[in-house]
Amino acid sequence: MTRHIGIINNKITKTLLSVLALLLFWQALSALLQLPALPGPVPSFKAFFLEMTGSLGFHFYVSAYRVLISLAISLVLAVPLGMVLGREEKIDQFVAPMIYLLYPIPKVVFLPVLLALLGLKDLPKVALITLVVFFQILVTTRDAAKNINRDLINSVVSLGAGRRDIYRHVVWPAAVPEVLTSLRIASGTAIAVLFISETVASQEGLGYYLLDAWSRMSYENMFAGIIAMGILGFVIYIILDIMEKRACPWK
Amino acid sequence: MNGLTGEGAMVRVNGLSLWYGGGEHRVQALDRISFTIPRGGTCAVIGPSGSGKSTLLYVFSGLLEEYSGEVLVDGEKVPRGRRKTALILQDHGLLPWKKVWDNAALGLAIRRVPPAIKRERIASILKEMGLWEMRNRYPSQLSGGQRQRIGIARALALEPDLLLMDEPFSSLDALTRETMQQLLLNIWLKDRITIVLVTHSIEEAIFLGQRIIVLSERPGRVVEVVDNPRAGRMDYRKTGEFYRMATRVRELLEH
Ligand SMILES: Nc1ncnc2c1ncn2[C@@H]1O[C@H](COP(=O)(O)OP(=O)(O)O)[C@@H](O)[C@H]1O
Ligand SMILES: [Mg+2]
Repeated sequence: MTRHIGIINNKITKTLLSVLALLLFWQALSALLQLPALPGPVPSFKAFFLEMTGSLGFHFYVSAYRVLISLAISLVLAVPLGMVLGREEKIDQFVAPMIYLLYPIPKVVFLPVLLALLGLKDLPKVALITLVVFFQILVTTRDAAKNINRDLINSVVSLGAGRRDIYRHVVWPAAVPEVLTSLRIASGTAIAVLFISETVASQEGLGYYLLDAWSRMSYENMFAGIIAMGILGFVIYIILDIMEKRACPWK
Repeated sequence: MNGLTGEGAMVRVNGLSLWYGGGEHRVQALDRISFTIPRGGTCAVIGPSGSGKSTLLYVFSGLLEEYSGEVLVDGEKVPRGRRKTALILQDHGLLPWKKVWDNAALGLAIRRVPPAIKRERIASILKEMGLWEMRNRYPSQLSGGQRQRIGIARALALEPDLLLMDEPFSSLDALTRETMQQLLLNIWLKDRITIVLVTHSIEEAIFLGQRIIVLSERPGRVVEVVDNPRAGRMDYRKTGEFYRMATRVRELLEH
């Protein structure tokens, strides 16, 4: 037990140390360059805490909401479809070529199309992030379902399992760890896509806030926005990491 | 119908041939196989790798349904998911994400057995198999012998009259293997289940198989059906008869 706590303490200490090192580097760089566009960490964090209670807090909320909704929609759509494609060969033969065609296209190029079709509010942003994350999860889930050991399926079938039992007892649990890993990795991309979508024809969200601060040459606020974006990504990553460990205790 | 009366065959195979794949990939796995297994008896299937031993078990358990010839289990054409047939495949078929208890109870859960009956039956089998203390662990936390026991527990929970096992002990070390062979023998002596055991160990085939089916290389043909009535006796291993039998089976395999 104490050893367990020791390991956690160790991990926290290491994280804190690397954060500290990063901040020192930032401080040194800004002190060295003396540019108004690169304020040090102290004024930046001051601006961050000040702004979080004001407009930055609102934009943070909007961005968090958009990215979380997108991740949820992607999961709900991609996981069942991926499992079916991985198990039902006939459907897969039909759909797989479409996936291979669409998967490598950088989905960001659809932003103008989505803006034209879906307006300028939340919808086009959510659609774009969902598009990106959906394909990653779809491909991962499909491969996980495909790679399940044949004898494992046969064993469960021999116990009397029907198709639904196979999905419930074998395919789903086999896919969960892979899905969570790919979701964790995709969350980084999701934030990047969110940023891009919010900098184009937008009035809300961290992307807008950042660009607005830049255009007003309010550099402390710009860095406050960057800090907010970093925290958003970090928190999502950590939550998914914890979920992954809790969901797969057998690993 | 009682297992001890031994009336009729539990498994009757007549001219069974089986091909995998289609077109130019067509591979013949079994070629006109015929033999019977008496009810309540044990049968060992031995043959070189690729001779169709696993395929044979797939057919008996109803997992493979496309073949020519006749296969009768308990007098009927094998229905898929026959409730009293239990199959244990090579890696025991355990689900890594289920605890020992849930793995053992999986067959009963799938068959929607009432929870109270399920609980009672699984508890008694886990205790019998020496797995009770480990019921809340995952298979990855157990030894090979213990994992094998879970596979057997899961099969026995179905209260089968036909137990099919594919090289069940091949991944175990020599000592554990003998313990497990003994355990299987005890189960058989107690319940008189018909047991079909696929193996590539001559010694195991002779110790456990009252009838030994020797298969040829692919496509699997029956080289000979050897009757080995003294199989299943605890002291058989030490007798001269055991060695004579081993020599005979080895010759059949090498020919
Ligand atoms: N799904 C399959 N498709 C094509 N060929 C197969 C398939 N399964 C098995 N075979 C072939 O059938 C033969 C018999 O296989 P198997 O029953 O697994 O043999 P054994 O268990 O005796 O090693 C082998 O030559 C194997 O390559
Ligand atoms: Mg085999």
